[in-house]
Amino acid sequence: MLLIKCPHCGPRNSNEFTYNGEVIPRPGMDVDPSMWRRYLYMKTNAAGWQSERWFHVSGCRRFLLIERNQDTNEIRMIRAYGSQS
Amino acid sequence: MTLYRLEPRPGEVIDRSSEITFTWNGRIYSGYKGDTIASALAVNGVRLLSRSFKYHRPRGMLTATYHDPNAMVQVGSDPNVRSAHRLVEHGMSVTSQNTWPSLDFDIKAANQVIGRFLSPGFYYKTFMSPRWMWPWYQKVLSRFAAGGKVSADHEAAVFDHRYAHPDVLVAGGGPAGMAAAIAAADAGAKVILAEEEHQLGGHLRYGDADDLSALLELRTAILTRSNIEVMTDAVVTGRFDHNWVPIVQRSMDHVEERLVHARAKTLVVAAGLLERPYVFEGNDLPGVMLSTAVRRLINLYGVKPGNRAVILTSNPEGDAAAADLERAGVEIVAVIDTRQGNTVTKAAGRKGVKQVTDSSGRTHDADLLVTAIGWTTPTSLLNMAGDRPAYDKQAARFVSTSLPDEVMAAGGMTGNGSTQELVDQGTATGTEAARRANGDPPAPVSKLKTGQQPELYRSSTHGFVDFSEDVTSRDLFLAAAEGYDSMELAKRYTTAGMGPVQGKVEAVNALAVHGEAIGASLLETATTTWRPPYAPIRLGTLAGRKHDPVRYSPMHSWHETHGARPLLAGQWVRPEHYGDPAAEVKTVRESVGIIDVSPLGKIDLRGTDVSKLLEFVYVNKWSRLDVGKVRYGIMCAEDGVIMDDGVTGRLGPDHYMMTTTSGGAGGVWNWLDDWLQTGFPEWDVKMTAVTDGYASINVAGPMSRELVDRLADIDLRPDAFGYMEVRMGTVAGVDDCFVWRIGFTGELSFEIHVPANHGLEIWEKLLAEGKDLGVGPFGIEAQRIMRLEKGHFIVGQDTDGLTQGFGVGVDWAIKMDKPDFAGKPELAFQSERGDYPRLVALQTEDPAIVPPEASQIIDGEAGIVGRITSSRMSPTLDRSICLAQVAHNLASAGQQLNIRLPNGATVPARVMEHHAHFDPEGTRLRV
Amino acid sequence: MYRYGRAVKRGPDMTRQQRFSAWSLFTHGLRKTPWPTVWEPHALQSSYDVVIVGGGIHGLATAYYLARNHGITKVAVLEKSYIGSGGSGRNTTIIRSNYLTTEGSRFYDRSVKLYEHLAADLNFNVMFEQRGHMTLAHTDSSLRTMRWRAEVNKFEGIDSDVIDPDEIKKLAPYLDVSDHPRYPILGALWHPPGGIVRHDAVVWGYARAAAALGVHVHQETELLGIDIESENVVGVQTSRGPISTPTVINCTAGWASLISAMAGVTLPITTRPLQAAVTEPVKHFLHPVIVSGSLHTYVSQTARGELVFGASVDPFASYSTMGSLEFATGLANHVVELMPAVSNMRLLRQWAGLCDMTPDFGPIIGPTPVEGFYVDVGWGTYGFKAGPVAGESVADMIANGRPGRLIESFGLDRFEKGTLTAEKGAAAVGH
Repeated sequence: MLLIKCPHCGPRNSNEFTYNGEVIPRPGMDVDPSMWRRYLYMKTNAAGWQSERWFHVSGCRRFLLIERNQDTNEIRMIRAYGSQS
Repeated sequence: MTLYRLEPRPGEVIDRSSEITFTWNGRIYSGYKGDTIASALAVNGVRLLSRSFKYHRPRGMLTATYHDPNAMVQVGSDPNVRSAHRLVEHGMSVTSQNTWPSLDFDIKAANQVIGRFLSPGFYYKTFMSPRWMWPWYQKVLSRFAAGGKVSADHEAAVFDHRYAHPDVLVAGGGPAGMAAAIAAADAGAKVILAEEEHQLGGHLRYGDADDLSALLELRTAILTRSNIEVMTDAVVTGRFDHNWVPIVQRSMDHVEERLVHARAKTLVVAAGLLERPYVFEGNDLPGVMLSTAVRRLINLYGVKPGNRAVILTSNPEGDAAAADLERAGVEIVAVIDTRQGNTVTKAAGRKGVKQVTDSSGRTHDADLLVTAIGWTTPTSLLNMAGDRPAYDKQAARFVSTSLPDEVMAAGGMTGNGSTQELVDQGTATGTEAARRANGDPPAPVSKLKTGQQPELYRSSTHGFVDFSEDVTSRDLFLAAAEGYDSMELAKRYTTAGMGPVQGKVEAVNALAVHGEAIGASLLETATTTWRPPYAPIRLGTLAGRKHDPVRYSPMHSWHETHGARPLLAGQWVRPEHYGDPAAEVKTVRESVGIIDVSPLGKIDLRGTDVSKLLEFVYVNKWSRLDVGKVRYGIMCAEDGVIMDDGVTGRLGPDHYMMTTTSGGAGGVWNWLDDWLQTGFPEWDVKMTAVTDGYASINVAGPMSRELVDRLADIDLRPDAFGYMEVRMGTVAGVDDCFVWRIGFTGELSFEIHVPANHGLEIWEKLLAEGKDLGVGPFGIEAQRIMRLEKGHFIVGQDTDGLTQGFGVGVDWAIKMDKPDFAGKPELAFQSERGDYPRLVALQTEDPAIVPPEASQIIDGEAGIVGRITSSRMSPTLDRSICLAQVAHNLASAGQQLNIRLPNGATVPARVMEHHAHFDPEGTRLRV
Repeated sequence: MYRYGRAVKRGPDMTRQQRFSAWSLFTHGLRKTPWPTVWEPHALQSSYDVVIVGGGIHGLATAYYLARNHGITKVAVLEKSYIGSGGSGRNTTIIRSNYLTTEGSRFYDRSVKLYEHLAADLNFNVMFEQRGHMTLAHTDSSLRTMRWRAEVNKFEGIDSDVIDPDEIKKLAPYLDVSDHPRYPILGALWHPPGGIVRHDAVVWGYARAAAALGVHVHQETELLGIDIESENVVGVQTSRGPISTPTVINCTAGWASLISAMAGVTLPITTRPLQAAVTEPVKHFLHPVIVSGSLHTYVSQTARGELVFGASVDPFASYSTMGSLEFATGLANHVVELMPAVSNMRLLRQWAGLCDMTPDFGPIIGPTPVEGFYVDVGWGTYGFKAGPVAGESVADMIANGRPGRLIESFGLDRFEKGTLTAEKGAAAVGH
């Protein structure tokens, strides 16, 4: 049960959030099938720091950009989408 | 007073004015309030408590604590009770476990004789053939399963959960722990002090007069600090990310046990030390006990542990035990001091110690052998915090090396010292813990020095290492010799450490013996993983109470009282039918029926860019939807798979109402939020989930217009209110309703959405007003039948996790000329390929056969080519109707297919021209 | 750390396995003679025909079948810790073949058949107990999926069918089949050939048998890099030195992405912890393996009497095997709901393994864009039951130069092609 410091709600238990995976930029519409499927399926799956998205579904319902270390579960950066902090 | 009960002593925890009687294996015994089951039995001369797992050897108390491997008994219907910790209660019925015919004479003790054949892992080397005998071997092996009994009609007790947020949580209420709690409280912290024994004090409780007076002082100090919450018979069982710490409170008045989930700012672990047994021949006989065991028995319970004792000592604690024994009137036959180069090599006896042999060869007649050869640091919680304790050779135990700032170790775990030194170190730790909890930068606390303890693990003979798993040092040697030569492999092969004591008594000895076996020193081989929980936790305690919410519609009470059969649909309870679904279908098709569709997902969307959002999440176009119009849309995920469907209406220039499936509502809401926040944050769209805000009633049937007209102030005439249109208005005097004309059932229907608190009222009014029209309620089953008659698919039933947009009958809705929408590229690829399965309507040749849903469609050569996704008997058509997914090349109208029923029979069926089996043109909708 | 020094006299090095049997057990016991070692440490050779990364069931089974079925014995299995330390030692030991798709059913059925005579094949009792496997359905859509699985299974000749609550009660009397639970049991998928196995024994059995055929099992040997020249594998770098080889097979779980990245290959995998827990032992009361898809819970009782539990993967990706409290509380909540009588049983330890999750709940087996680099990964929560068939199929693929029929739908290129497997339905909590 990680403690996630939501920029709006303060430190909250991780079960208030959903985990939405590593950040992968969405390509434009003019891609070929294999490029699109690379976006859909291929992952870096780092055993270390990763940029990922979380969603405070049982709280403020903001999407958050988080940098977490997948080995230690240490979190070093949390920012709400659409804001600087 | 029994033979073995001593005179009252200053630190005792028993109440001699309160006698308690209980039974043990059918015989009545008595003890005092405050006695544990084991101490009450010991005082009555009963030492034999159990038989061991594999060899069924007689066993008695070893450690006299919760973690005693030999003291597990059954209490009533409660298996594996730790008798050296559980207090006696009046009328308790205690029995021994895994013994037959009796504890005294156990037939499986024959295992001891064939022991040499039951070497570790013997079952891997045999029972392989003949194969047909394997199930019989399995039965035999399972008879040997140790442990108590679980009875089928056991009534679950009440278990509770609590959430706590202490500044400082102190795990362990010995001198250092108590001092830390006091110091932290004085520094202003909110403190929880958890101690697994029944009283605070740790080893001070069974110490000398000085110890007892120090204990009194500390206890008094704690009582006067209102910001220390004390929990006794409470054990901290783990430490998870960011100091998420579970505490199990065991003796509570109104609940059986309570699990406290604590988020502690600072965790102080003051768990003291566990005494370690010595490995030698006969070390598992009743009467062989640790020095702390006899000190507890004498000083806490007033129990004389034996008559003639041999003491094996190597440290001051062993010496103190000798003094206590002498004062208790036990004859000290011999003191074998390892500091003088002497040790014990054997204990002999049948059902208890009779004779002890030392390393000089001398034998001593004794019924009690007390050992004091060293300590194990209970580093479990520290390990869980990421510590990698290192072996301190001088102290012959492990010490912490690296803890995160929010976890601290205090007291005997960190080193040795006098009571005052332990208290001082605890005080310094507590003060610092409070500072850290306050957010101050961490400062180091000086450690205690570790004292001298000779390294004593195994004598020159072989003995038990893991008492509960019956693993001897010889077994570990054999395992190493066979090639299982890393500690982990040896552990798994011999099962050492995998028993109910979770390694506390055996892990370090196992490591030492294993090191011996492979010729490496402890330092190098040490990597024990301590897995949570620190102490065993009951499943009931972990489970707590049931908090699984059920969602009810505002009309639920009406359904209940009118005979609705409840259907669990996700979190909702819905009416499946009111007794006769076929009759309900008839009512709708011939006059009018009403159905409660409140669980329908409803999302209110406002803003200037709503149509852009709709255009993006749906496959069809929305930019030219006029106010007052409704459109049906399907949503696809980015892989083109159909995610959800529903109708969305435009209530005003910048105001839309989206509906989703009831199960999909939450997911769609999150999906929309995702795109709005992370994809298109510049769009002006505000969303409100209003599923629970509106009660929804679908009024369907040829008479529906008439009925709704009697209640609504809206112009319902065909020219004023067409199919797929929406109007706002007042229904039965209730404002802010919206009504739309859609057609899931295929009949003329008006779906009324009213503010939820008026739902029941409107429902009842409809039924009252429509009596003369023959109105009746209809449930989910009738609705399913009717939608199937009309060929409407259900997402998640007629589509699955791979069904993409094309091929389910809504190809006309997929507008590939839109520049971008969710799933567009995959849909393009799908349409190019063309070989995707198709959703078709099927009718069996024999109209009476209703193929069960999920029956497979078989083609002679190709094998399985599809399946029935929906299937019902249609009361309207008086024949069976289906929807099915089939391979693209077998999906044309008129195609003959074979359906394989679960009973193996194959029935022919035909692909229909339309998905709708009834009124394919939809004329009934558009009146 | 693993050490090679010996203080204890070990049995003679074997060129021929001394067979395990009741007779040899008896004679050894009588004469107190030492057993031969199960496997030997070897010096790392400078070259091997095949290098397998990962000393779990997949790697060891592959090595064994390469040697046994194809005579390819110059094989090295590289294991960075001790064999079976990864998923193979952390799973909940459930074996079954009642999958949703035709390809899945056939594949896992082959594995069940291999498990049925594995003890005899390896001369090591892996203790495969075919207790029967029951997947409970608590909703009608779940019941429909059970029917789907049953029909596909039956078509493939697999013993599997849907049973009602009365039959469920007969098979597992301690289950609450009344309407008291929050989600009452409506029916179940019953699969008699399913059961449990002693997972460590399978690993040891394969290692011993492979070693006897000449395979080198290198423990405490970590892969540090893969050497590639013009899109071809030419060798590997290990913590004990380099090896030249034309063939490298990634048989790891948890580390699949990292290992594949060494070859420049990206995988559609995210790593999730999967937790499990065990109670203290009690007398036997639960015979079949019980799974509840809706409750995301599975439970079985071992021969020793302990209950072993599992649930679904953790809610977020991670490489941490620490475990969590909410796993234990959530699981206990569901187990007590299913079988109220167990509320007094005590949980003894919990642990976690790492599962490589793929988008379609199917494994990834086959070649990669790098010539000579193969993968047998993406095993999610269903890797242990597939060990034998995967090993057999991968060995076959290496020997014959192309994937066989059983595994042809599991290739890495299916993601690019968009031809994902359809197991999504079954794997909600499929075990």
